[in-house]
Amino acid sequence: MKNTLGLTFFPAFDWYLSPGHPERQERLLYTRDQLEEEGLFDCEEIKEYRPRLAEIHDLQRVHVGVPSIARLITPAHLTSAGGCLVAADAVMQKEVKRSFALVRPPGHHAMRVVHGIRGFCTINIETIMVEYLRTKYGINKVAVVDTDVHHGDGSQDVFYHDPNTLYISFHQDGRTLYPGTGFPDEAGSPGAWGTTINLPLLPTTGDEGLHRLFDGLIAPMLEDFQPDIIINSAGQDNHFSDPLANMQITAQGYARLADKLKADIAVLEGGYSVESALPYVNTGIILAMAGLDYSRVVEPDLSELRPQDVRCNQRVDELIKQSGEIYFNRAKMQKAMMDKCNGVWTRKKHIYYDEEGIREEQIETIRYCSCGGYFTLKTAAEGTRFGDQSAFIVCLPRQACKKCRDKAHDEALKEKKTQKWMYVLIQDIATGEIETV
Amino acid sequence: MLLGIDVGGTFTDAVIIADGKVFAQAKTATVHENVLQGILRALDMVLQGNDSQITRVVISSTIVTNALTEHQLDPVFLAVIAGPGMNVKNKFPVQPYEVSGYVDHRGKVTAQIDWSKHTDLLNTKGKGAAAVSGKFAVRDPKLELELAKCLRKNGYDPVFCASELNGELNFIRRTNSAYFAAATYKLFNEFAKDILQALTQRKINAPVYILKADGGTLPLNEAMRQPVEAVFTGPAASVLGIEALVAPVLPAISLDVGGTTTDIAFWENGHPLMAKHGAVIDGFPTAVRTFHMRSIGIGGDSQVIKQSDGTYRVGPQRIGKAVAVGGKEVTLSDALITCGLVHFGDEQAACEAVGKFGEARVEAEKIVGNAVQQIMGTIDSMLAEWAKQPVYTVEDVIKGTEFKPEVLVGVGGGAPGLIKALGEKMRLPVDIPTGGMVANAIGAALSRPTLSAALRADTTDGYYIIPESGRKEKLPSNFGRKKAEQVLKEYLQQKTAEWNLPDQDVELVAYEFFNTIHGYYDSGEIFNLRMQLKPGILHKLTVVDKELNIDGQEQTL
Repeated sequence: MKNTLGLTFFPAFDWYLSPGHPERQERLLYTRDQLEEEGLFDCEEIKEYRPRLAEIHDLQRVHVGVPSIARLITPAHLTSAGGCLVAADAVMQKEVKRSFALVRPPGHHAMRVVHGIRGFCTINIETIMVEYLRTKYGINKVAVVDTDVHHGDGSQDVFYHDPNTLYISFHQDGRTLYPGTGFPDEAGSPGAWGTTINLPLLPTTGDEGLHRLFDGLIAPMLEDFQPDIIINSAGQDNHFSDPLANMQITAQGYARLADKLKADIAVLEGGYSVESALPYVNTGIILAMAGLDYSRVVEPDLSELRPQDVRCNQRVDELIKQSGEIYFNRAKMQKAMMDKCNGVWTRKKHIYYDEEGIREEQIETIRYCSCGGYFTLKTAAEGTRFGDQSAFIVCLPRQACKKCRDKAHDEALKEKKTQKWMYVLIQDIATGEIETV
Repeated sequence: MLLGIDVGGTFTDAVIIADGKVFAQAKTATVHENVLQGILRALDMVLQGNDSQITRVVISSTIVTNALTEHQLDPVFLAVIAGPGMNVKNKFPVQPYEVSGYVDHRGKVTAQIDWSKHTDLLNTKGKGAAAVSGKFAVRDPKLELELAKCLRKNGYDPVFCASELNGELNFIRRTNSAYFAAATYKLFNEFAKDILQALTQRKINAPVYILKADGGTLPLNEAMRQPVEAVFTGPAASVLGIEALVAPVLPAISLDVGGTTTDIAFWENGHPLMAKHGAVIDGFPTAVRTFHMRSIGIGGDSQVIKQSDGTYRVGPQRIGKAVAVGGKEVTLSDALITCGLVHFGDEQAACEAVGKFGEARVEAEKIVGNAVQQIMGTIDSMLAEWAKQPVYTVEDVIKGTEFKPEVLVGVGGGAPGLIKALGEKMRLPVDIPTGGMVANAIGAALSRPTLSAALRADTTDGYYIIPESGRKEKLPSNFGRKKAEQVLKEYLQQKTAEWNLPDQDVELVAYEFFNTIHGYYDSGEIFNLRMQLKPGILHKLTVVDKELNIDGQEQTL
């Protein structure tokens, strides 16, 4: 097939979180100006797509909203999610070789359970796209490479028990940046250990360190995993001019990464240097994905660019070793952990929704079975726009067997009888149906 | 009295319109090698003593289109300031000379032209036409103007500045427009001089206008500064003609069925829809505005070929007159006659000719079916293209921008039968106005000037710019949307006066407003506006009482 890129560009000029917020109308204005002025939409290698509205059940293959996802979103969210679905369709129906959903609002901080907005995100648009690809096209193995400067804790949460999704996130070290997570030892629950790979980089890491990490670890892992499809969560806030972070990546660094990664579908995430970075980074990524010459995409002002600290490469080398061991020894570790947990694995989570000041407590429990099992979520949140709320949620993965489904229903009914929960919900991941018990 | 002349692929038409009706009309064969000759003949036929009362002349000609399609272009020196971004190699009809310097998307000059790198340019004498274009010159034309000045000093004449020809974003399209303007300048200028001389000889001193691809008129002397705008005017004239005859109020699809081709356009609220992008000339995208239309090689005189599998292929070749009016081979018109969809000429002869393929009625329906199918395919792809227009706001996504036609309008010689068949197939009502035989010339005669300009203001920067004027000015106090509209309106009115155009309403066609934030606290505002003189025609035809028949003979209705 010809080297073509499907571009779904949706700048949402009428959507913002609050006046002056980084997620404001202006965010993709200069990117729009740059892409139009470059004449990119006229390139025969680039095909333009318009977003459609996603359906609620598309969202519910990933999310369980409390009280419901429909009450938590705006039409803007359906549009950016729908933009990703259009991008996915264009690739799967072989209209184009690759796709880039250059859309907002973004999504990678939205977790499975949603009480409100966190990290500018309400719904997780890439994970919604991944589950859509699985339902509609029967895709199984997926690799998601998250190149946003922030740890994609929402995507990690969604894929944490899924051994068929390799989720790789490199980001600025969580000790120095929101959301404060994303360390190598967060590598997945026992059945999926080693398929979540967190690569926290030191502040000031630049193109050199990033590509050292890509060549030394990310590329070999992708080569080994043999995914059916590669998704790029294409955040652009590793840029040296980003006001929210402290990295030193350039437009060339991003474009070369896109060129090497050869993602089938890229989805925009963060990136808040709206004037000095986004126009150039996006031009670079688009040209690279379309197989065009991107060597001339250089920011006109490189005066803010600092050399990376000598310690940055040391950290990269440590990660290549440490995370490489986690990934390449994952089968052995999975077996050991499964043997140890005795069929049930539980973790507690404290989740803070920075945008709305919501505090959520969660207990997540997986009950393993030869089919993969199912999991439950006990959630209680304070300070949501609906007041304090709680729910008991059962999630049925695609492969869940009849026995697990029955067991899960029984558990939901039992919890309902305790009257401890405001909502008792059962999520069917394959269909996106959510049943209220 | 208004004089309109339309040079088409087959015929050159002329009309005189007075008191809301066609006063005189003429049709003559187009002389492809000498367009002017055909124009003068049509002119002389239609004038016949009416010369002194002509108050306005509008010409829609193929002169620029022919030059472009036949590559009769003058050499052009193209110099661009591309700066960082996409590689522009092979993006233009000629390899450009690249000049250093850069203006960014906010209109900030981030790098000046480094003349020490361009001593070759400074030290070589230039000659002939040149075009210059800078990326984001529509945000600040400083570097582009500096480059143009340098080329003029070195002997290039004329020098076209891309940002003055078009104020919209798209460096590649603006550059190509400027290139084609420079490449057709000489030819168009000679044509304009010949026209003026011929009119003077005929004692017509009325102002002369050229029809543009967007259906507007341009004073002849202005057209010399932007000749590329005079490309593809035939279809534009046809659209204006339909506007004069019917101006469909419901969402409509119009089909102008000529002898060789059918021009298809979309209508909403009585106006034709404009294409969202400029015309593509010789494979290169330009900024020349056009209607959202397509031409398909199917007309009344289209050749009919029976294929080995028993199906038919209509067009795109034209083979001359229908059998019904003395032709030798079966045309689409003969099939339409056989189907009883239209009545003219020797219907018996038409039926017999079609009958050579098999049972006349059955075969005729198959032939018409193929023509209808081809047209529907084109309409479908136009609908799909329209539906794929980008949307930038949630509101537009929800509202949708689909076009849903409710009526078909047919004009031109081949229209009556073909459009009826199409309407049946598409389950849409059909409107076939009378007077459609010289619709193009009527459209030309009644067209109005179009003029549009953009204004961008960035309060952080403290300036506003109207790219078409090439000026960047300090923001007046109390600047806001109202002031922005007022400034742009005044510019358009001033331009209208300079061009001696009649007063016309100015309308706002695009508006964007953004609050901007720099750092965490400083904020500013960005305004993007585009205004234009209200497009359309001077007035509708009030009475249509004469029609040219298929042989070009005038008959009273």
